[in-house]
Amino acid sequence: MNTKIASKKPKENYRIEPMRFNLVLMIIASCMLFAAFVSAYIVHMPDAAAKNTWTEFDLPVQFMYSAIVALISSVTIYLAYRSAKSDELMLNRVYLSATWLLGVVFCVLQYMGWLNMISRGLMPVNADPEDISASYVYAISLIHLLHVLGGIILLTVTLTKAFRYQVHKKELTLMKVTHTYWHFLGLLWIYLYLFLYFAG
Amino acid sequence: MKNYHLSGIAAFATKKVFSAMFLLALPLFAIAQTATDVVEPPKEFSLANWDWEFISYFVLAVLLILITARAFDIGALTERITGKKVVNWNATNRWIAIIFLLASVAGIWYEMVNHGKHVLIGDSYSEHGATIDSMFNWTFGFTFVVFVITEVLLFYFMFKYRYREGQKAHYYFHNNKLELVWTVVPAIVLTFLVLRGFNTWTKITAEKPKDAQEIEVFAYQFGWKARYAGADNKFGSHHFTFISGKNPLGLAVQDHVDSLLADLKKDTALLNKQIASAGDSAKAWKAAFVKFNTGSNATAYPAVYKELKTKMEDAESGSYLRQLKKDLRRKNTTITRITTYRKNQDVFNNAGNDDKITTEIVLVKGKSYTFNFRARDVIHSAWFPDFRGQMNVVPGMATWFSFVPTKTTEEARADKGNKDFDFYLYCNKICGGAHYNMKIKITVVGSDAEYNTWLATQTPFVAPPVAAPAEGMTPAQDSSSIVKPNTVTIR
Amino acid sequence: MSTAALHTDHHHDHGHHEHKESFISKYVFSMDHKMISKQFLITGIIMGIVGLVMSLLFRMQLAWPDEKFGFMEMLLGKWAQDGKLDPNFYMGLVTIHGTIMVFYVLTAGLSGTFSNLLIPLQVGARDMASPFMNMLSYWFFFLSSVVLLISVGVETGPASAGWTVYPPLSAMEKAMPGSGLGMTLWLVAIVLFIVSALLGGINYISTVLNMRTKGMSMNRMPLTIWAFFLTAVLGLLSFPVLLGAGLFLIFDRSFGTSFYLSDIYLEGVGAMENIGGSPVLYQHLFWFLGHPEVYIILMPALGITSEVISTNARKPIFGYTAMVISLMGISFLSFIVWGHHMFITGMNPFLGSVFMILTLIIAVPSAVKVFNYLTTLWRGNLRFTPAMLFSIGLVSFFISGGLTGIYLGNAALDIQLHDSYFVVAHFHLVMGSSAIFGMFAGIYHWYPRMYGRMLNNTLGQFHFWITFITAYLVFFPMHFMGLAGVPRRYYMFTLVKEFDVWMDVNKMMTIAAIVGGAAQLLFLWNFFYSMFRGKKSEQNPWQSNTLEWSAPVEHLHGNWPGAIPEVYRGPYEYSRPDREDDYFPQYVPDESDHAGTGGDGHKTAPKRKSTKKEEVAENVMFAAIKRVFGWS
Repeated sequence: MNTKIASKKPKENYRIEPMRFNLVLMIIASCMLFAAFVSAYIVHMPDAAAKNTWTEFDLPVQFMYSAIVALISSVTIYLAYRSAKSDELMLNRVYLSATWLLGVVFCVLQYMGWLNMISRGLMPVNADPEDISASYVYAISLIHLLHVLGGIILLTVTLTKAFRYQVHKKELTLMKVTHTYWHFLGLLWIYLYLFLYFAG
Repeated sequence: MKNYHLSGIAAFATKKVFSAMFLLALPLFAIAQTATDVVEPPKEFSLANWDWEFISYFVLAVLLILITARAFDIGALTERITGKKVVNWNATNRWIAIIFLLASVAGIWYEMVNHGKHVLIGDSYSEHGATIDSMFNWTFGFTFVVFVITEVLLFYFMFKYRYREGQKAHYYFHNNKLELVWTVVPAIVLTFLVLRGFNTWTKITAEKPKDAQEIEVFAYQFGWKARYAGADNKFGSHHFTFISGKNPLGLAVQDHVDSLLADLKKDTALLNKQIASAGDSAKAWKAAFVKFNTGSNATAYPAVYKELKTKMEDAESGSYLRQLKKDLRRKNTTITRITTYRKNQDVFNNAGNDDKITTEIVLVKGKSYTFNFRARDVIHSAWFPDFRGQMNVVPGMATWFSFVPTKTTEEARADKGNKDFDFYLYCNKICGGAHYNMKIKITVVGSDAEYNTWLATQTPFVAPPVAAPAEGMTPAQDSSSIVKPNTVTIR
Repeated sequence: MSTAALHTDHHHDHGHHEHKESFISKYVFSMDHKMISKQFLITGIIMGIVGLVMSLLFRMQLAWPDEKFGFMEMLLGKWAQDGKLDPNFYMGLVTIHGTIMVFYVLTAGLSGTFSNLLIPLQVGARDMASPFMNMLSYWFFFLSSVVLLISVGVETGPASAGWTVYPPLSAMEKAMPGSGLGMTLWLVAIVLFIVSALLGGINYISTVLNMRTKGMSMNRMPLTIWAFFLTAVLGLLSFPVLLGAGLFLIFDRSFGTSFYLSDIYLEGVGAMENIGGSPVLYQHLFWFLGHPEVYIILMPALGITSEVISTNARKPIFGYTAMVISLMGISFLSFIVWGHHMFITGMNPFLGSVFMILTLIIAVPSAVKVFNYLTTLWRGNLRFTPAMLFSIGLVSFFISGGLTGIYLGNAALDIQLHDSYFVVAHFHLVMGSSAIFGMFAGIYHWYPRMYGRMLNNTLGQFHFWITFITAYLVFFPMHFMGLAGVPRRYYMFTLVKEFDVWMDVNKMMTIAAIVGGAAQLLFLWNFFYSMFRGKKSEQNPWQSNTLEWSAPVEHLHGNWPGAIPEVYRGPYEYSRPDREDDYFPQYVPDESDHAGTGGDGHKTAPKRKSTKKEEVAENVMFAAIKRVFGWS
């Protein structure tokens, strides 16, 4: 109830919609979380390697596929944003649905990546002691996947609104937020993939 | 402008406040009372067993405090009706501030006189300790001056510049020079302290002294052990998987490791059997529970009931089986590791056989020592307060600390005028329930001869007769006392 | 006259919207920042009482280790059999006391309360950037508090590895009783707390940066807002790292990974599988939050103090710019000094000396703040309201506790002082007492703003002096104990003969703690009684300059009935020689006035110029953000 009042309020004294500004800050917080993981990885690696408890292994190929899916979905979400901006509502729904599907595909690919690792004996639970490097890969991809699940929920909301004609030229805030967040997720995964690929 | 004076009637208020102060102490009397009364603790929940005396005192005290508080409110009301200000808090507070200032000076003075040498850093008994103490004294000198000046100014300003009707404050908001001064002066002082601190710190911690005698200090929940190298002046290698009741420090000594391995194999065989029959035992626990759970047994023997119920539920939910499998996995890993290390003849050179594991640390005055720390289970911290030494003891990570003791225990006793004084090494990192009692005595002797006499009384780790297992270090899973050593040899 | 000016130009078409609110939407799931701030405050007070009672329990154990306390068994059951506190539960009490005080009272209770109350009111916004997130922030906090309180009651006892919960002690269920279910619940509570802190912090930052009223340039913001803003930035950047550390700990505990565990043999279990983990890694991650956390606690209190001291000294705060710069300096430095908590963990000594140098630099901005406070008091017209007294108390504690930071930041001295009672004295003075006094100052100062009623002044005076004196009596002697070599977190000292000389001091400290604790009853009475029966507040009871006093006493959703007032000058224009009144609110227009910025502009550049410069800078910033995120 109160939010509705807030949204109907005329722009009194802000320059960027609060929702978008908050999103930027949320993304910064997220980045700090992954920065913590990445720096822990960098610090831990030589330490564990000295004790012969750091196994190097190839990342599952599915992770690369998911990075490609992330790239493609970035394109589709951009197209969805463009079409919403130019009031092409049908196209907007198509692109949003495509992004949603690609998001699900991404999750499935991550899951398959884990299965791949398990099949090579790199366990997530009760991990072998030598598998700290694998533990890092599991932890990082799991936390990223949780972010993606959040993104899919956000997409679902946007999609529902799109089908209710609530996403168009004059109500772009939610679309912009989804757009930004989805790009962030994709870029984050590509960064993490490259990091794990070159560091491990 | 007068609405921030919300005071009560002076005499009335003061009286009430004093009675409130008195009442605040009531819970203390109650505690002192009950403390002597309680003899046998009540075992079952019953209102009659509650500490009603304490409760009544407590309730009374709270009520009276609240009544006092209410009284203040009536005072405020009276003031509002009569429109007269009775206590001028602005004037009162200036005096309280001055009294507080004087009282604190007196308090600190009293403390310093009363605890004499204990106050401030005290005496140190190591070579580098003197540098830390001088560092302390410099820091104390600077901070004490700042402390006195700022605190005195604070309370003096309270005294001097209290509110007066019609007076206007000095409109003064900025002075670049002044601000520059109190940015630069602390910066200079701090630079001095940083440089000094940097030198002191580097000298103490940068590298191990080369000619120092090494002593291994081993920490576990909850105690310390020291290990001296023995006759060959070489420390035997060790590994955490070798730890057993007979081998508390996990030294690479063949007999002990082999017997541990044999025990582990027996354990795994048993576990395998238990896992195979897990289904049966679940049924058995259920039958036992059903058999027990008749009539009034459940209420008559709550402990048995609870135990049986837990076991039955564990077995049914599979957590019993999971636990077994986990144990098996863990033991198998340990066996694999031991076997791998066992093959390595460099590790099993029996250099540890003549190591001496002691429950006291004995040092010789004036000699340099390096303590190599090792932890068995969780992080501990080795603190030698009298020697100004401290280092964390971390499982899986080698740490060390070096110092040269400068006075013997006897000399320290004479210094302190305390015949019972001893040096101790304390645990200074929270490590569990008995953390407060985790310490080991350090004795500093005057000559090598005394030290050698003491060392001769300590038995080597492997020598006829085999050293008795250390007290309080008997792991539950370990049944090595039943198995004779050397019955199994793996190769 | 101030409000008259406001009410002349009503804009009824926007702003306050009349609508009926149900009980639940008004008092429970409220999205109004003022109500949320009250919710934070009351939850914080309740948690504070729990934390205080815990501290009294273990203080009594320390003072009378051989006595039997019947009531303790009554309270704690099996944890105090025969009326003697169990050592494991002692650790639990210490841990939960620390957790509650650091996170629940001084982070959420202090920063949550006053950021929520003051940010929209003092910058001139109708509400937070996202009222919904704000509400979520409170309810995550509430949930987290409930989980933490439940964890105290579980059968194996609460988490007992200290508030820093260092693994391996906290990572293995069998390491001590408290590392079982209690520890799991502790972690859950902290994860919920972090979510709450992040949701809140995001809102604070975006409100301050994005939603200031016309004329409220950054250099006209009250120091409270600067403090809350920088606090929120610290939280935003450091809490995620704690979340990462906590997640790894959860993985280690529940999934058998080895991030923090290596080479462990546990009594009753045998050799553990884990190798290759690094316990010190946890400490690095923890203290990367842990040190900024200290300033997350302290800075709001410093901000409140600046505001209260300036108002009640009837004087502009001395060196507004220096105050802001020192706050910024402290915030920045707090991120690169975490290693001073770890000098003796066995990390590289060279790293230790780097951290030492960085740490001691923090003393400079801190010193600037203290001297500025003193100069603000100098030749002031000091009104000793309870808020003012608590602020002065804060400055006193900040000096006493801050100076010992110079000892502890020095790696060489830290060898001796680390984890001794000296540390306990240091942080209880500089972080604990200071921050709680800042919180009390805030409550006494803004109570009229929160509840529309005044607190009883006399009770406040007694509350202050009793609390102030007893806090010093409890914490100051700890310095001497620490220097004499008494370690912290010891269940009792009677097992070491050397410590016997401190028994009388211990008893004195405990009695002082009990008296001080009882004095809080005066406050509680005052707080809850005045809520309903206190004297009705005026519009601007302290004759303060800041914007929040221009809003009506009765709370409105949207804060101002008409348009949001415009801001014409800095917040600290007290006792201007050219004015008859000794205050000059920010929101009162005056054409002849060329007062500049932040209380120190009178003689510097006229306001138009500086505002323009500011605006240019801000426009550049916003343009950059928009560009980066591809927003048109």
